Amino acid sequence: MSDGRAWIVPVIVVTVVIVAAFPLTVDGNVLAENGIRLGSAYHLTLGINMLQFVVLATAWALFSGPTRYISLATAAFFGVGNYTVAVLANAAPLPALILLAAVIGVAVALVVGLATLRLRGIFFVIFTFGLSELMREVVRWYEVNQAHTVGRYIFFNISQEQIYWELFALALLVFMAGWLITRSRLGLALRVIGDDETVARHVAINTTAAKLALFAVSAAFMSATGAVMAPRYTYIDPAFAFNPLVSFQVVIMALLGGAGTLYGPLLGVIPLVLISEVISTTFASNFPLVLGVVFIVIVYLLPNGVVGLVQRWRTGATRLPAIARAPRIPGSGPLLEVNGLRKAFGGVRALDGVDLTVEQGEILGLIGPNGSGKTTALNLISGALKPDVGEIRFRGHPIAGLPSHQIARLGIARTFQIVRVLESMSCRDNVIAGLAFRPDPLWGEAARERAATLLDRVGLATRADVPAGQLTYIDQKRLELARALALDPELLLLDEWLAGLNPRELGIGIELVGSLRTEGLTIILVEHVMDAIRSLCDRCVVMNAGQKIADGPPDAVLAEREVIAAYIGDAVA
Amino acid sequence: MVAVDIILSGVILGGIYAMVALGLTLQYGVARILNLAYGELLIAGAFGAYWLYSSHAVGPLVGLIVIVPVAFLANWAIYTYLLTPLVRRAPSREALEADSILFTFGLLFVLQGLGLAIFGGQIYGYPYLRIPVEIAGVAVQANRLVAAAVALAIGIGFYLAMTRTRVGTAVRAIAVDPSAASLVAIDVPRFSALVFAAGGALCAAAGVLISMSQTFTVTSGIVFTMKALVIVIMGGAGNLAGTLIAGLVLGLVEVAVARLIDPGLTLAANFLIILAVLMVRPAGLFGRSA
Repeated sequence: MSDGRAWIVPVIVVTVVIVAAFPLTVDGNVLAENGIRLGSAYHLTLGINMLQFVVLATAWALFSGPTRYISLATAAFFGVGNYTVAVLANAAPLPALILLAAVIGVAVALVVGLATLRLRGIFFVIFTFGLSELMREVVRWYEVNQAHTVGRYIFFNISQEQIYWELFALALLVFMAGWLITRSRLGLALRVIGDDETVARHVAINTTAAKLALFAVSAAFMSATGAVMAPRYTYIDPAFAFNPLVSFQVVIMALLGGAGTLYGPLLGVIPLVLISEVISTTFASNFPLVLGVVFIVIVYLLPNGVVGLVQRWRTGATRLPAIARAPRIPGSGPLLEVNGLRKAFGGVRALDGVDLTVEQGEILGLIGPNGSGKTTALNLISGALKPDVGEIRFRGHPIAGLPSHQIARLGIARTFQIVRVLESMSCRDNVIAGLAFRPDPLWGEAARERAATLLDRVGLATRADVPAGQLTYIDQKRLELARALALDPELLLLDEWLAGLNPRELGIGIELVGSLRTEGLTIILVEHVMDAIRSLCDRCVVMNAGQKIADGPPDAVLAEREVIAAYIGDAVA
Repeated sequence: MVAVDIILSGVILGGIYAMVALGLTLQYGVARILNLAYGELLIAGAFGAYWLYSSHAVGPLVGLIVIVPVAFLANWAIYTYLLTPLVRRAPSREALEADSILFTFGLLFVLQGLGLAIFGGQIYGYPYLRIPVEIAGVAVQANRLVAAAVALAIGIGFYLAMTRTRVGTAVRAIAVDPSAASLVAIDVPRFSALVFAAGGALCAAAGVLISMSQTFTVTSGIVFTMKALVIVIMGGAGNLAGTLIAGLVLGLVEVAVARLIDPGLTLAANFLIILAVLMVRPAGLFGRSA
């Protein structure tokens, strides 16, 4: 979308042509300048090497680019491909084995992913680092104890050219897959996760499923690459197949080129494969040493660090057919019922047996001194926390303990006390994130139109293309509201949304919240701004030290002795 | 009989593991550097002990007197001259972690490359206190007993230093929250360098102790990095008591798996335990919840 990207297309075209021409070239002038030996067999080897890393790094970035989970598991999946072919070489034709390797890679990814993708980023890195070590140990143990061998010989009647074209096809496939994913809702989901996983859950994204799906796709390509490459080596052993160096090279290549874009890894692979080539020919005996130094230097030279390289990508052309919206089924009885809700953090009882009801169409003010448990209550209702004891019913259905994304899908949206926008994404995409994963998702042109309407509603119509991180604090709060409204919720939880506004902004804000009620939205308003509470709330619940101490119309409640005591102190009351 | 053997061998191994992980928990938990070259630094300590023993006839315990200060200085230099630029420019903890992982992964290959150039790929080891000692009817090599005893002594001494002294308090404060620590007049960058160096010194000492009873190669460091990481995650990064306990648990489990199932599956067992632990407590056995 940005203007600076126009140069990229010719670069890619030229690259593809050069790479495609490797098997045919007799003298390579381009490479001769870099001191690389000539000869078509040599170029073919170099081309195979390059394509192998193009597939691996692009597949790596498919998952790690948008989610920003740094995976060091490439070697594990690559090794799986190697061994699938080595073990079953005589059992099936090669294309079937490549497919089988991809399937096994997916299976491993699903098992490992289910266990580890819930973990915080750093644990994930360590796990994936350990995974290739683990696979190597297990394969070695199996080979020595069960198969009584150290390594395996692979004999296939296949030419280097065939391997080259297989890799070329695989590279095209991985680019196609990436292109399709960036244009899908899955692609958006992953970018939201990469920016803020908590927000992702609260806009109804099943984060685990999204991450798992991409991890598996990426693993399939890596294992397939391993399978394609296997016939090239006549002999493999576990240390060779599960070499951690491969994982590291892939990470560096992808990050150097830019993991946030589909073509980025390609741009990193080419120079680094050439550098490695030069190193291995000139410093053959000290290859790991020099390679290590080169990588350290690369880490240093990145001005914004490695993370800075995980660029933000922006999808603009999200034009899929819009999905028709289902009519809402009105319920009867209170919209939300909370009974005996308890939540303790260690010894502190943040909520100690709270009962609440919220009627359809009302604005309930939830007030109380700092630390009285208001935000905890919102976190329990929206699924950010799980209650220790107690019931939460939304339209009569129990929702206590459900994951956030399911609660969001049921029709409860929230904003955060400390504003959480997806900083690297445009305002429009922030809102689309809210539209794309609800039960009646909007996508493509319909989503863009709806996003424009919502942005206009909160006064951000002119800022649709601005990255959310560049907005002022107040505008970020507005954007957060638009994102919550995008879910088309029945119940809206506003956590101090009016705090920090100046008097004029406060007036506009109060008017906006009031207009939401007239449209039939039910709202729980956690707030300290008394003007807002008086003018907006139909009813107020006052909390103190984890308990409800008053419930009624704002004016009556605010006059109660206990409420005054809680806010100001006993002496005054 | 088997049970006594497993418990005794497990505690000895676990004591050494705890010692191995202690340095990493300092480097990662306090100095915020996830050091993937940790095992290589450990093996460097082992080669130091080997070199002193074979060419100067200096025993490994005496060798500690030389190796520990050298390792301290070397690690201090690595942090001060190589890692500080990365620390300074990192906008967030996550960014520093990503940078430090890739930097130290590069360092891993540099150290391995240097080691291969100097020592080659063969297996090293030296005979030291290879005397069987009988405890409760089980024969144990004296060198392993001494190693475990020294490891435990260093571990406990370090724990006391961390919990009972002013410097230790400052270090623990940084582990909890570096920016809050700087608000109470703790010089975070200086302490971080010292803590990273102390972690490296502990790491080299662990390498010396391991070299007393095990053979090693230039490339065997990565296994120790993995084990140390497993222990640190299980015990909670920066948590010393957690590290000691997690180390013992790991030692016991490894010996049990090796004796009862198959020695080739100990690494698999490591991963199963840590998976189980993290399923139940995502911040580690003794870690603070995020």
